[in-house]
Amino acid sequence: MRDKIKQIRSRDNEGIENISVEERRHFLKMGLAVTGVFCGGTIISAVSAVNKVYASAGEYAAKYPYKPHYSMVIHVDRCVDCELCMQACVKTNHVPDYGYRTTILERDVPDAVGQKREFIPVLCNQCNLPQCTRVCPTRATYKNKENGIVMMDISKCIGCLTCQMGCPYNARYFSEEIHAVDKCDFCYKSRLSKGEKISACAEACPAGVRIFGDLSDPSSPVYNRVHQLEKAVWVMRPEAGTRPNIYYTKG
Amino acid sequence: MKRTIFLTIVTIVLAAFFLVTDGFADDSGGEIVYKSVTFSHKSHVDGMGFDCETCHDGIFEMEAGSMVASPDFSMDSIYNGEFCGACHDGSMAFASDDDCTTCHTRPGGDILYFKPVKSVLFSHAVHTEAFGCESCHTGMFKMEALAAQENDDFTMESLYQGEYCGACHDGSTAFASDTQCATCHLGVKGYNRMQGGEQANQSGH
Ligand code: HEC
Ligand code: HEC
Ligand code: HEC
Ligand code: HEC
Ligand code: HEC
Ligand code: HEC
Repeated sequence: MRDKIKQIRSRDNEGIENISVEERRHFLKMGLAVTGVFCGGTIISAVSAVNKVYASAGEYAAKYPYKPHYSMVIHVDRCVDCELCMQACVKTNHVPDYGYRTTILERDVPDAVGQKREFIPVLCNQCNLPQCTRVCPTRATYKNKENGIVMMDISKCIGCLTCQMGCPYNARYFSEEIHAVDKCDFCYKSRLSKGEKISACAEACPAGVRIFGDLSDPSSPVYNRVHQLEKAVWVMRPEAGTRPNIYYTKG
Repeated sequence: MKRTIFLTIVTIVLAAFFLVTDGFADDSGGEIVYKSVTFSHKSHVDGMGFDCETCHDGIFEMEAGSMVASPDFSMDSIYNGEFCGACHDGSMAFASDDDCTTCHTRPGGDILYFKPVKSVLFSHAVHTEAFGCESCHTGMFKMEALAAQENDDFTMESLYQGEYCGACHDGSTAFASDTQCATCHLGVKGYNRMQGGEQANQSGH
């Protein structure tokens, strides 16, 4: 594995296009073999293969499509379903009780050895290739050009719910109050645009589950968590091909 | 649960018996049920032959509940020879600091903490298989459900420092407190399920 990395790294100077398809596939396979799902985005050139599927795997920070490139890394095994994140979200963003911008899924595995229960926080994945914006007939939902957040322009929303059906993450709800579809915007309106640095849910988490930051900034706490090889990092439903910006890890 | 029902039945039967016979043996007090201890008049009076004055001339009031109301009615006092400790000193009767479970016949059941976070389940059933009451109830935990969550230091940090559950959940006696979070933590969902279950149970009675 180390040899392989060295080998690939040495080719890095030659430019990505010089790596053979076979080699790329080999590396990707190794990644999958090691982690079972996805070998964390890296700064070596092998990411050019990973990059086909995942948003974060830019080979250099500068190549990120957005600046800041907001992202969240979720330490899923630390979640205890205290739901303080959900409470903070509802309070900050005035989410009605029939909808949610973030929630916690529960998975019971009675036959597992040791821990038999798992809590999984979910929210809008702020995908790089979002289905929702693609299918919206009025462009009421769009990708913010600066920071990549998937936003709503409620004045354009006709409530057709096509975006809801297009979303692989079930991250949208119809708000009766504003007569439009609404969703998580990483607290852009309520906090980030007012100078806060992190989302309400990340701030409220007492267990260090939700790490919020800028994937293109090496000093951001999300940067190292994603750009390393030792510990598995994965995304939800990679097969949807939307290149999500919510990463999951353990430990 | 079975045991509680059984004891309740015994109490009712005894009460009925005393009512019918209009005060057998000057209306002896029957079964005195404390939180986890049951004191039996029958075994102490009939079985061991103590007369009423042995106890009701200074050691105990003739009124159930009067002891519980007194702050002195604790193991410390009992160890110091007061109350049950007047006899349960290891010479006249088995010692109080020894056979906890002979007196404490009902462990506390399931305890569902909801502070500082919802929610953590402690189950006596799981723990009393391997541990005697004294493992936890000499200093570590009170015999009072949810007492610990009133303390400001009932947190993970304390557990990591070996306090509370962390005394055993340290990776050697039992799985460490910084692993298997969701084995102890049931979350808000678990809390709502348990509360729902309890309410359903209560309305079933
Ligand atoms: C070995 C000690 C002991 C002896 C002997 C004893 N008792 Fe008691 N009795 C107690 C205790 C302990 C209580 C409960 C006191 C409390 O919890 O406040 C009690 C309570 C009572 C009560 C109140 C019960 C109630 O439900 O309110 C009555 C009545 C009573 N005893 C009658 C008697 C009579 C009559 C005798 C003699 C036949 C007797 N006791 C002998 C220990 C004793
Ligand atoms: C006057 C002395 C005396 C007092 C006071 C006394 N006991 Fe006892 N108790 C005895 C003796 C003697 C025995 C039987 C000897 C033995 O088993 O060691 C006994 C046995 C018992 C037993 C085992 C038999 C049974 O009933 O299941 C229990 C439990 C018990 N006592 C509980 C208590 C509790 C609880 C108190 C206080 C509320 C108490 N006793 C107060 C003398 C006393
Ligand atoms: C002779 C009977 C007897 C024995 C033996 C006994 N207890 Fe108790 N214990 C009592 C009674 C009676 C109470 C008071 C009941 C109540 O308040 O509900 C009590 C209360 C307690 C309490 C709550 C009050 C306090 O002091 O904090 C704890 C904890 C306790 N016992 C622990 C123990 C442990 C641990 C042992 C064994 C080392 C033990 N007990 C053995 C009779 C006994
Ligand atoms: C592994 C630790 C442990 C052991 C062993 C243990 N307990 Fe407990 N017990 C607890 C804890 C924790 C509480 C809750 C205390 C708190 O919240 O502060 C508790 C509470 C209780 C309560 C109060 C329940 C209520 O509803 O108020 C009783 C009664 C009790 N225990 C009895 C027992 C008896 C009897 C035994 C022995 C058969 C026993 N316990 C063994 C940990 C233990
Ligand atoms: C006296 C030691 C001791 C204390 C104190 C203790 N535990 Fe445990 N606990 C154990 C042991 C031993 C096991 C089983 C061994 C294992 O699974 O590693 C266990 C198992 C458990 C389990 C798993 C139960 C299952 O169904 O498999 C839970 C949950 C748990 N403890 C919660 C707690 C909580 C919460 C506390 C504090 C309120 C606590 N324990 C205090 C010793 C302790
Ligand atoms: C041995 C049981 C146990 C395990 C394992 C455990 N906890 Fe806890 N936890 C508790 C208890 C007991 C409390 C205090 C009661 C409550 O908050 O309901 C608590 C409280 C907390 C709190 C709120 C208080 C604080 O410290 O901020 C957080 C957050 C928390 N746990 C997170 C975790 C995480 C994350 C893990 C896994 C890395 C974990 N817990 C593993 C028992 C456990």
